[in-house]
Amino acid sequence: MDFETNYEIEDTADFIHRRNFSRVALQFPDELLKDSMRVVGALRDKLQLLKESGSETQRDGAKEVRLFVMADATYGSCCVDEVGASHSDGECVIHYGHTCLSPSSTLPAFFVLGKASVDASKCAESLSNYASTSGKPVLVLYGLEYAHAISHIQDVVVSVLSSLNASTSTCEYHFADVASRVTDPPKLCENSENLRPDCDCDTSCEGVTSGFTGSIGGLIWSLPKGSKMEDYSLYWIGSENSAFANAVLTFNGCEIVRYDVEQGCLMTDLSLQRKILKRRYYLVEKAKDANIVGILVGTLGVAGYLNMIHQMKDLITAAGKKAYTFVMGRPNPAKLANFPECDVFVYVSCPQTALLDSKEFLAPVITPFEAMLSFSRGREWTGAYVTKFWDLIDSPLPDVRHDPEEARFSLIQGRYVEDFSSKENVEEEEENGRVVALSATMEKALQLRDKSTTMITSNGKGATSGAEYFATRRTYHGLDMYHDSGSTVEPFLIGRSGKASGYEGERNKPDTEAKN
Amino acid sequence: MVKFTAEELRRIMDMKHNIRNMSVIAHVDHGKSTLTDSLVAAAGIIAQEVAGDVRMTDTRADEAERGITIKSTGISLYYEMSEKSLKQYKGQRDGNEYLINLIDSPGHVDFSSEVTAALRITDGALVVVDCVEGVCVQTETVLRQALGERIRPVLTVNKMDRCFLELQVDGEEAYQTFQRVIENANVIMATYEDPLLGDVQVYPEKGTVAFSAGLHGWAFTLTNFAKMYASKFGVDESKMMERLWGENFFDPATKKWTTKNTGSATCKRGFVQFCYEPIKQVINTCMNDQKDKLWPMLSKLGIQMKSDEKELMGKPLMKRVMQTWLPAADALLEMMIFHLPSPATAQKYRVENLYEGPLDDQYATAIRNCDPEGPLMLYVSKMIPASDKGRFFAFGRVFAGKVSTGVKVRIMGPNYVPGEKKDLYVKNVQRTVIWMGKRQETVEDVPCGNTVALVGLDQFITKNATLTNEKEVDAHPIRAMKFSVSPVVRVAVQCKVASDLPKLVEGLKRLAKSDPMVVCSIEESGEHIIAGAGELHLEICLKDLQDDFMGGAEIIKSDPVVSFRETVLEKSCRIVMSKSPNKHNRLYMEARPMEEGLAEAIDDGRIGPRDDPKVRSKILAEEFGWDKDLAKKIWCFGPETTGPNMVVDMCKGVQYLNEIKDSVVAGFQWASKEGALCEENMRGICYEVCDVVLHADAIHRGGGQVIPTARRVIYASQLTAKPRLLEPVYMVEIQAPEQALGGIYSVLNQKRGHVFEEMQRPGTPLYNIKAYLPVIESFGFSSTLRAATSGQAFPQCVFDHWDMMMSDPLEAGTQASTLVADIRKRKGLKEQMTPLSEFEDKL
Repeated sequence: MDFETNYEIEDTADFIHRRNFSRVALQFPDELLKDSMRVVGALRDKLQLLKESGSETQRDGAKEVRLFVMADATYGSCCVDEVGASHSDGECVIHYGHTCLSPSSTLPAFFVLGKASVDASKCAESLSNYASTSGKPVLVLYGLEYAHAISHIQDVVVSVLSSLNASTSTCEYHFADVASRVTDPPKLCENSENLRPDCDCDTSCEGVTSGFTGSIGGLIWSLPKGSKMEDYSLYWIGSENSAFANAVLTFNGCEIVRYDVEQGCLMTDLSLQRKILKRRYYLVEKAKDANIVGILVGTLGVAGYLNMIHQMKDLITAAGKKAYTFVMGRPNPAKLANFPECDVFVYVSCPQTALLDSKEFLAPVITPFEAMLSFSRGREWTGAYVTKFWDLIDSPLPDVRHDPEEARFSLIQGRYVEDFSSKENVEEEEENGRVVALSATMEKALQLRDKSTTMITSNGKGATSGAEYFATRRTYHGLDMYHDSGSTVEPFLIGRSGKASGYEGERNKPDTEAKN
Repeated sequence: MVKFTAEELRRIMDMKHNIRNMSVIAHVDHGKSTLTDSLVAAAGIIAQEVAGDVRMTDTRADEAERGITIKSTGISLYYEMSEKSLKQYKGQRDGNEYLINLIDSPGHVDFSSEVTAALRITDGALVVVDCVEGVCVQTETVLRQALGERIRPVLTVNKMDRCFLELQVDGEEAYQTFQRVIENANVIMATYEDPLLGDVQVYPEKGTVAFSAGLHGWAFTLTNFAKMYASKFGVDESKMMERLWGENFFDPATKKWTTKNTGSATCKRGFVQFCYEPIKQVINTCMNDQKDKLWPMLSKLGIQMKSDEKELMGKPLMKRVMQTWLPAADALLEMMIFHLPSPATAQKYRVENLYEGPLDDQYATAIRNCDPEGPLMLYVSKMIPASDKGRFFAFGRVFAGKVSTGVKVRIMGPNYVPGEKKDLYVKNVQRTVIWMGKRQETVEDVPCGNTVALVGLDQFITKNATLTNEKEVDAHPIRAMKFSVSPVVRVAVQCKVASDLPKLVEGLKRLAKSDPMVVCSIEESGEHIIAGAGELHLEICLKDLQDDFMGGAEIIKSDPVVSFRETVLEKSCRIVMSKSPNKHNRLYMEARPMEEGLAEAIDDGRIGPRDDPKVRSKILAEEFGWDKDLAKKIWCFGPETTGPNMVVDMCKGVQYLNEIKDSVVAGFQWASKEGALCEENMRGICYEVCDVVLHADAIHRGGGQVIPTARRVIYASQLTAKPRLLEPVYMVEIQAPEQALGGIYSVLNQKRGHVFEEMQRPGTPLYNIKAYLPVIESFGFSSTLRAATSGQAFPQCVFDHWDMMMSDPLEAGTQASTLVADIRKRKGLKEQMTPLSEFEDKL
């Protein structure tokens, strides 16, 4: 495919020109970084052309458009890196490559989705085959890189349908649309699009009185009145990536098949995806037993992230647990293991990066939705799953203050456990203010430390705050200030010397020991 | 028809000397429930005529259907003894009314935990032994458990009717059989020398052994006969009793007692002459319908029959006659009242076993004195499903004080630590209830020494708990029960309809409560797991779950799954090293198998993290040949900080080592819970930290760098030390006649089992076979065995030990490697094991 079409140079330039931006940040994922210079060059030429052909009024005010290339996004490369863009005072972000189309909070963004090749006829054939066997209406979803080919596929399917008119008359197709390739931060656009572009009724929808509007990962569709998602079979075109996993989780009540474009075949065995849901369910149960919860800030761009973090904090405190907030870019096992105090982490980020398989992590990482299930008593998993945290913002904070009627049964431990701090700390904090609560916690920590040997080994409840953890669970507390002066002075030892990657005298050490 | 009221019962509850709390224990099918019926009948709850057929204590439909007891059931019974019969009683008593709190327990090994729960709240045990089958494995297990709890046993040799009707053995032969049964039981009891409890062995001549036929509702002790003959011979009862057992012979011809068989044809052993023969005669006469002979015989014995009963023929007649002559209840009750301790007596010596706190505080004193005015001490030993679905009675025993309706109690759970607030609730008791057969009666309060069921606490007690008054904040809990079986068989359940999940979770919660042993949990993969002691146990649990606790919602269960353990065969072939993610820290480690018996010692808690280091190093040095200094360098145990694996520091002169200890421990806890082979727990592996290289800056050697590295190096050392799988193994005991042996052996062979003991039961055609059988092969074992032996063999399986599977799981195609692949698949892991190169780094 032609380079300019693939990178949609014309549309991009038009967007920049029309909105009159002068400083533009181009965000590339790692795998597309190699093309960045060509894109910049092409874009610059195009902008120059537009500028010359533009109207008088525009020409006057027009400045030189400066383009900045951003790489190595702090968080997931699917989200708009607004912080990165503001380093160069960017006025808008042009995002290339795979995206989750999450709403941004401060800068307008234009998404270049890319155009992956797909054999439309083959795909359409497989689709109509599937539709005729499934017996349910089919909703077609796809990876955004295939968005360009969808109308073509749709045409092919329709033609196939008409040729086989009699037998396939029962089949029903729905194709999802790409929501909008331009997102604007909420405060800049009162009239055109609102904060949640995928939830409003799209007026451009052709006359269908929508009963249910669904959306996921930048796709939107509307279903006829009275029908539910469960009534449909989902047909996914694209590769097995996080967008797909997201769809499987969100619509776990539906039958889903995936058309693998590269291999050109239909994958119907999705037991692995089903297992993900079960695994998430386990993590929810595990989170219920947590005392200290870390909130990982996984985005500084997606609209409403700050509200979500505050909401999470309130939720966790209300559940009688202790919350700490961490900002550490993309989480990895080594980073998180620096905080063994935390029993579980809540990762506030865009839907597609939030689903972290935390098998290799010391503590599980869950999504805000899962946190809501875990930390509000009485809420039960009904099978519904929400990956977009902005859909959760409005959900009311459950009333956990009331005296719990029943002790909580922990499936992890197979017995009743009680969240004792929920009875204690919350009330204390309310009545006497934070200072008293803190001192009470500290008092407890100090008191427990006397019996540190028993505390370490009591495998029931862990520590309930970082301070308590430090006092009771760690055996090393830093340099001992009150060293027993009575003991004999130890002679100093000569430490290691050399480079950290291989100290002197270390290199052949394993060999000599092996001989011994 | 009920002879007594709740008010009457409540009144006697205050007379602590007139209470007997006892459980009926035995091997499966030795007739516990049937015998219990006779006792219940005598108390007037069921008609005398149907006693032996109803099985009053088998309240569940499936119990009746299978003919086995599944849950232990408590009944409070009221008896009024005659002044005459109590004449001999030397202990303290208040009047002639007695209250017996009786608990019938299951005999199948899979339900041993029910027995444990029953024993805790009783003071005496009626051990029932089948006179033909003798002392079996479960008899022994429960008897040992009873003695461990300081519970005084009395014995009844049951199924006497088999001797008379089925086997038709002569007197002397029968005597020998009984003698052997009693001796076998005494051999077990003799090992429990306890100065406080005294001699716990049983002797027929002392009245602590009864002979019974539960099915026909009659029983006797030598006391019955001694009373009969004492006046005739002009000796006192105790003298007569001695003559009726042991080496005492009587020759009617010479009318002389001798201590040896004189050899004359008429010389017979006292027992045979005066007990066995008369019974045999009566039975035979009845069975042969020789009524002309029977009536004079009966009138001689002083038995009055009602006119309608005289119309009976054959077996019913025999049953009726025997019941009138030697009513089971009278003999057994007398034995229990005379020889089992009252709570007042028993709690004096049981307090040491029961109370965790100091034995001189007010709670210990109140328990010791069984003081109804003292502070409340109540132990809830099990939860019983109530008739309204989803609710439970908390069933237990008041050891001190009184529990009353509406009182506020402190509930101390099994994980309660005095002075802390975890596992502690303060709640109101809604109602106090006592059990009378199938009915429950609400009473105002229940004083110490009695069993009681409480309503309104079920949402705070999982399985058991200690209750005290609200204000008794310094009370320690009563010691948790120790079970003789462990949940080794697991099955994964899921609901057929995904939206039933909340129902399933709720159901699992209730199931966990209803059974003292079952463990309901969730696996890493998100599967719900039910773990039980055996196949039968699981079957019952699943049935309960689906029918009772989930309202019939359909569930899908997986095939039974056995949990394995990962261990190592040898010391690591080299010291392995792993680098931290930043490549600046290096950990060197080696794995080696623990010394034999060490893992078991850790399991038993003889060695553990809470030990005094000196004691620990002494045990390790003396029993396991450890270096004394090394024993002090154990960093931790795992998984769960108490498991049978450990990390030992072997480093010399390493800088900052104390800083990373916590991180290594955290990594070890993680790794030992999920081994490298298939993420099963590790067992019996000792990890030695050989050397550590750390970055000079503290920021670069934090937990984030060290914890994942420790995990990796532990995996690497495990994989280089010839990793092996351990599988759980049952000890199976089978009793069968000789002709069934062939079938048993072939089934055992086919199932990878091996026999280690085969013994003929002296005096019977039965053989006793003991064998080891891998748990994984035990599914369907009972039914296969029954099929192969035409129903003559019935196995009892108890978890015994972990056995190493010798095949190499790292070598493709071996049994162990297929097993590993299966487990990984089930857990949703990559089917290929992570290779060593992923864990080990090179410099």
